[in-house]
Amino acid sequence: MKARKRWFPPRASRTGQRPAGRAPGAAIPRNALVWILLSQFALLLPHLPQLPIWVVPVYLCTALWRGMVLRGQWSWPSRPLRLALILAGFAAVWFSFGSLLGLEPTVALLLTAFALKLLELQRRQDAYVLIFLGYFIAVTVFLFNQDLLLVLYMVGCLWLLTSALVALHRPGEDRFNWRSGRLPAIMLLQAVPVMLVLFFVFPRIGPLWSVPLKTQAATTGVSDHMKPGDVASLSQSDAVAFRVQFAGEIPPRGELYWRGLVFSVLEEGAWRSLRYQEIPPREWRLAQKNGAGSALDYQVLMEATQQHWLYALRYPQPLDPGVMAMGDYRLYSPVEVEERFRYRVRSWPELPLDPVLSDWRRETELRLPEQGNPRTRALARELRLGAESDGDFVQRVLDYYRNGPFVYTLQPGVLGDDPIDEFLFQRQRGFCEHYASAFVIMMRAAGVPARVVAGYQGGEINPVNRTVIVHQFDAHAWAEVWLAGQGWVRVDPTAVVSPERVTLGLEEALAEEGSFLAESPLSPLRYRGIDWINSLRLRYDALTYRWQSWVVGFDSEQQLNLLQRLFGEVRARDLALLLLGSAALVLAPAAWWLLRGGRPRRLPEERLYQRLCRRLARRGLERHPGEAPGHFAERVAAERPELAAAVRRATAIYSALVYAPQQPPGERGERLRELRRAIGQL
Amino acid sequence: MPLAALAEPLRTAWRKRFGRWLANRNPRGRRILLNQRRLFIFPSRMGLLFALLLLLILLIGINYQNNLAYAVAFLLASLFVVAVLHTYANLAGLSVEAVRAGAVFPGQRSRFSLRLGQRENRPRYALRLSWAKGESEEVNLGPGEHRLLHFSLPVGERGWFHPGRLLVESRYPLGLLRCWTWLDLDLAAVVYPAPRDSGETALGAAADGSGGSSLPRPGNEDFQGFRDYRPGDSLRHVHWKGLARGQNMQSKQYHAWASRERWLDWEDYPGLPQETRLSQLCHLALQWQRREQPFGLRLPGSTLQPDRGPAHLEAVLTALALYRREAPGE
Repeated sequence: MKARKRWFPPRASRTGQRPAGRAPGAAIPRNALVWILLSQFALLLPHLPQLPIWVVPVYLCTALWRGMVLRGQWSWPSRPLRLALILAGFAAVWFSFGSLLGLEPTVALLLTAFALKLLELQRRQDAYVLIFLGYFIAVTVFLFNQDLLLVLYMVGCLWLLTSALVALHRPGEDRFNWRSGRLPAIMLLQAVPVMLVLFFVFPRIGPLWSVPLKTQAATTGVSDHMKPGDVASLSQSDAVAFRVQFAGEIPPRGELYWRGLVFSVLEEGAWRSLRYQEIPPREWRLAQKNGAGSALDYQVLMEATQQHWLYALRYPQPLDPGVMAMGDYRLYSPVEVEERFRYRVRSWPELPLDPVLSDWRRETELRLPEQGNPRTRALARELRLGAESDGDFVQRVLDYYRNGPFVYTLQPGVLGDDPIDEFLFQRQRGFCEHYASAFVIMMRAAGVPARVVAGYQGGEINPVNRTVIVHQFDAHAWAEVWLAGQGWVRVDPTAVVSPERVTLGLEEALAEEGSFLAESPLSPLRYRGIDWINSLRLRYDALTYRWQSWVVGFDSEQQLNLLQRLFGEVRARDLALLLLGSAALVLAPAAWWLLRGGRPRRLPEERLYQRLCRRLARRGLERHPGEAPGHFAERVAAERPELAAAVRRATAIYSALVYAPQQPPGERGERLRELRRAIGQL
Repeated sequence: MPLAALAEPLRTAWRKRFGRWLANRNPRGRRILLNQRRLFIFPSRMGLLFALLLLLILLIGINYQNNLAYAVAFLLASLFVVAVLHTYANLAGLSVEAVRAGAVFPGQRSRFSLRLGQRENRPRYALRLSWAKGESEEVNLGPGEHRLLHFSLPVGERGWFHPGRLLVESRYPLGLLRCWTWLDLDLAAVVYPAPRDSGETALGAAADGSGGSSLPRPGNEDFQGFRDYRPGDSLRHVHWKGLARGQNMQSKQYHAWASRERWLDWEDYPGLPQETRLSQLCHLALQWQRREQPFGLRLPGSTLQPDRGPAHLEAVLTALALYRREAPGE
């Protein structure tokens, strides 16, 4: 076994002393090996969230093994062992994910192979394969996360990989040095302009075939059913749910009710939305817009949720294909939102929803379970009897909340069998879902169509770019009741108990309790009181928004807009010219910079000697082509004896400088000065 | 069969044509500066693999609608373009100078020396110089550095041996592109005739007493004295006894052989064909040199006066080597 015999990887011999006739590039310089190891660990880091934890020890072990081989302490793993390791890798991925298909297992396999390849990194060819695999792995990072900071980090990874590639071609560098990182940095910078043009010009086409998707990602955001406690747990997260850019003025905070889900069915203590098959076909889609009113245009940039529903203000109409408007006035995406998703919406906040209620809808929105919460039902009936109208009844229920000792809290405690009864009459502490749920049950018990709406309320206005940032802790649940003549009317019982929640946000509402983001002490949102942290956070968020809409979310429509703005009509010729122009713009200076030494540089003594020759030529003493300086000096001395001393002296110094080049710089400088003086005497 | 028959002349014609084109584009010289006329550049095998990788990344970008995958694909693609320039710059401006080639006997290896250098102020890496015969070397070159490189190459038959074109190539910095040139260096080695005793007796050997058969025995010479040993003196004449006594290394000196000078004469062996005759003369020259006998050489058209010593031997052997051989090259 050849590999076993060579315990020491052939240490790259000093340049020029390598035995002649070796196959090209047999060995990997140590410097390159270190760069490869660095890039391996750098690439592992961003993948950690989607990898099983055993990958880390695999990396450490292979790096250790390769290091020991380098030091000559251990031998290369034998072929059967390598094969066993590869099989073990497959098995481990299978055990971790339960499958080898799908994006995460594929990436885990790639990274395992990336580590194991280190154990057969002997020749330059192996290093190429490893580095190319590294480039590929760098790309897969972006399938999971496209954050701006991550992208900067990945640029660093690409630099590391390219440096490894360069170090691989510097034979004889036996020690790690950062110098080999300089050229790749320059080359990457030179590559940027052409990349940018290609990025904005290259046509964006749809997927060519379906690809394995993420299977393991957790769903985030509001879920499709709601039990008491669900929204509260969401409120612990400071993650961004979505960002909104309004075309005009931003409506007041109290009006920002982002509808996501409409819960019409109460089943086993939990609210859920209607299933597709439960809805008669005529109620599926939103009917034509009725009436006119002022419209609100905005664009939502939503984070991945792995769910179907989208968020919008009241009465939304999608402006993008691929977004559906559902019969209960919400937006729906036929495919799960797996990546950041951007859509444009037009809303009519003043238009009535469902001015006429269909029988099916009325029946659905009135249905309650047969049993449960008897005291709540009794209270509802009692309040309804005393009310003049449905509207009046709504007010009475809200008054009941207002006058009761209700507390708005993130820590309501666990409720028993008849949770609403217990909440309304005993605990009287709850979060928005308790208030909304109890309110809707009371409405329905009294025969008023009502439903729970879940989504987000409010948001933070970023003064840097005027976007509204909606965080997970803005998650909210409220109610809608149908009143004759008005259609569906939004009622937010939480606002009655804790007005600050709606006008100021969750943080203010929980100020006394101190439970805002209690579980994430490092969240920058907890330090909004500190000016510079807050301004930094908002600036970064503005940058993220721009990044998201211009780079991550850049699509064919934006591309067309951009190109039309640049060229008017888009023609292939213009694009080709743009590409060539940008290439020339970078490559021409780069070529000049690289080849600027193309003309042989004259040494200072040669320049001085040329000067001597020019001076003599002015006196009619021309040096013949190819005449040796010594001969020339003698000829000059013979023809013009008065110049003999100076010319001989200058020639002697010049010869000494040229034929004894290895002199200490100080001495050399001294000689040059002498030469200059001698020529000056002419 | 007719196809193969047709292909062969075609191939020869093509090779000839390519050779002419190359000779025109990259002519022979003693000192050759590598410039855009002489340098060629093309993606290496790894470069093609890299292109495949780019395609794969682009497919990820398309299928996952992932703009950052697009961006990486484009960044690497333009890195490839930038690398063209850097790979070219690694060779451009280098000079390769023929220094010397040692004279040898057939079947031996000659040492070819050449100087690789640059006057420019940037480091060069992984410069590979290789001959068609398989000798190759990879070197780095510092700013403004010149370096002497030696190759030992097997030579052909008597006459001038030209080692063919020298391949100078580099894949630095990324290995994705290969920049190369085939240099026709004005560098040729003299190959002596193979020394071989044909057993033939020289024609006039007996007549004038200077033939190869009547060599004087050692001891016939008149001893003259000692002198300090010089490199080139025969080891037989070293005064070993003195050396053993701890004196300096000294050579014994004998009277000059002026009166008994010998001639290697082309006309002495009329019966032998040309190459055999040269081999015979070469054999004798070596033998007489070993015996430190002065001898001269008479070839049709040239004569070397009798003398001895390594320089004389070299002159004689060179004259034999180049007898009726044209200048190196075509």
